[in-house]
Amino acid sequence: MTLVPFAHFGHWWTSILYLAPVVAVVLWLAVQSWRGRRQDGGQEDE
Amino acid sequence: MRRRMVAAGAAGALTALALPAVASAHGLVGKQDLPIPRWLFAWGAAVVLVASFVGLAALWPTPRMQELRERVVGRVPAAVEVVCGAIGIAAFAIVVYAGLVGSQTALENLAPTSVYVLFWVGVPFVTFWAGDVFRFFNPWRAIARGVAWVGTRAISGPPPEAIEYPRWLGRWPAMAGIVVFAWVELGYVGRDDPSTLAIMMLAYAAVQLVGMSVFGIEPWLRNADPFGVLFGLFARLAPLHWRDGALAVRRPLTGLPSLDPRPGTVALVCTMIGTTAFDGFSQGTAWNDLAPDMQRWFIDLGLSARLSLEIVGTIGLVGGILAVAALYRLGVLGMRSVGERHTVDELSRSFAHTLVPIALAYVVAHYFSLLAYQGQATAFLISDPLGEGANIFGTSSSTIDYGWITATGIWYVQVGALIVGHVAGLMLAHDRALALYRDPRAATRSQYWMLAVMVGFTSLGLWLLSAAAQ
Repeated sequence: MTLVPFAHFGHWWTSILYLAPVVAVVLWLAVQSWRGRRQDGGQEDE
Repeated sequence: MRRRMVAAGAAGALTALALPAVASAHGLVGKQDLPIPRWLFAWGAAVVLVASFVGLAALWPTPRMQELRERVVGRVPAAVEVVCGAIGIAAFAIVVYAGLVGSQTALENLAPTSVYVLFWVGVPFVTFWAGDVFRFFNPWRAIARGVAWVGTRAISGPPPEAIEYPRWLGRWPAMAGIVVFAWVELGYVGRDDPSTLAIMMLAYAAVQLVGMSVFGIEPWLRNADPFGVLFGLFARLAPLHWRDGALAVRRPLTGLPSLDPRPGTVALVCTMIGTTAFDGFSQGTAWNDLAPDMQRWFIDLGLSARLSLEIVGTIGLVGGILAVAALYRLGVLGMRSVGERHTVDELSRSFAHTLVPIALAYVVAHYFSLLAYQGQATAFLISDPLGEGANIFGTSSSTIDYGWITATGIWYVQVGALIVGHVAGLMLAHDRALALYRDPRAATRSQYWMLAVMVGFTSLGLWLLSAAAQ
C-alpha cells in the first residue's frame, strides 16, 4: 500500500518541478533577508 | 439545424469541453506542440518575475501610481445610458425566456452559453481594456433607474429615503454572491439546466432590485451587486474610465491604487482567484483521483450520490478559496516582519488591489479557450435561441471553427496572461510599498514576500493549466 505513490511516481513527479521555482525564490529571499538584517545590525553597532 | 448538430457531433468531445456540466477541461483543445516541457515555462515565468522585481527595485525609486491622473476626452450623452440599459434588459429577458421555454439541452439553448461564456467570461475580457461597460448594460441597474425615474414623477412629494448602506458590510455581499455563482458553476449538479439557470437569473435580479430599493441604487451597486462590483474591479485596469457622463483616459493599471479597500475586498479577490484555481484543479488527475473516494465516503454515510458529489465540489471550492487567501496572508505576514510596525489588517487592505490583475490573469488563462471556441456558438444560438430549429438572423447553420487558433497558441496566450498579470501585480505592490514605507530599503525588503507570493501564484496557475491539459 505504501508503495502505491511510488508506483505512480511517473504521473506526479513533474508536479514537483512546478514547486521548484517557488522554493528557489523563497530560499533566495531568505538569504537576502538574512543578509539585509545582518547589514542593518552592523550599521547600528557602528 | 441538422447540419449544425452534425457539426457539433463531429466536434465531439471538443464541444463538450465548453459547458460546465460536461466539461472535462476549459483548457485546451487538441495536442500542444511545445519546444520545451510545460514545467519549464513555470521556471521561465519565475525568472521573468525575479528580473522584474530587481528592475523595479533599481529603476523605480519613488511612488508613481498613487495619484490618479485622468484626462477627459469626451462626453457621453444620457441617451446612450438609456439605450444601453434597454439593450441589457432585452438581452436579460431573451435569455431568461429561452431558458424557461426553449430546449432543455444545454448546447442547443442560448441560456447556458450566455451565462457561462458570454457573461461570466466575455465581460471581463472586454472590461479590462474598455472599462466598466457592463455598468451601462446592467439590466438590474437599468430597471431600478427606470422605476426611480417613473416614481419621482408619479409620486408627489420627496421620494422615501434609502437606508444608509452599512460601512462594516462593505463588499462582503458581493463576495458571497460570487461564491454562490461559482458553486452553481462548479459544484451544483444541475448547473447547465436552462430552466434552472433562468429561475436563478430571476432570483438574482429580484435580490438586486430589493437591495437597490432598500439601500439606494449606487451604494448597492458599489458594494453588493456581485457582478457589478467584480467587473468594476477589473475595469480599474483599463485605460478608459466612464464616469459622470464623460469618458476619461488614463494609464493602464493606474485606476487600481485608488481602490477603497473596504471590508470584503480582499475576500472578494481571493474568492475570484480561488474559484478559478479550483475550476482548473478539478480538471486535473489529482482531484479526479480524490473526488470519487470522498464521494463514496459521503454515500456510505447515507447521502445520495448527487448530494455527495455536490458536497465534494463544495469542499473543493471552499478549499481553493482558503488556499489562495492563506497564500496571500502568508505574504502579508512576511511583509509585517519588515519593521515600521504596520498591522496585518492594514497591510492586507493596502495591497488588496495588487491581486486584481492576478485574478484577471487567472480568468484569461483559464477561460480563454472557452471563449475562443464556445463563444462562436453565439452565432447559431442567437438565430435559434430556443433550440427549436428557428433561423432568425440566417446564422443557424454556422459552426464552431476549432482551427482558428491551435492548442499551442492557446498555451502561449495562457502563459503570457499569467506572466503579464503577475508582473502587473508586482508593479502595483512595489509602488504601494514605496508609498507606505518611509524607508525605501524597507519597502524593497517588504516586497521580497510579495515576490514569493507572485511566483507561487504563477507556478500554481501554470501547474493547474498543465494538469488540465494532460
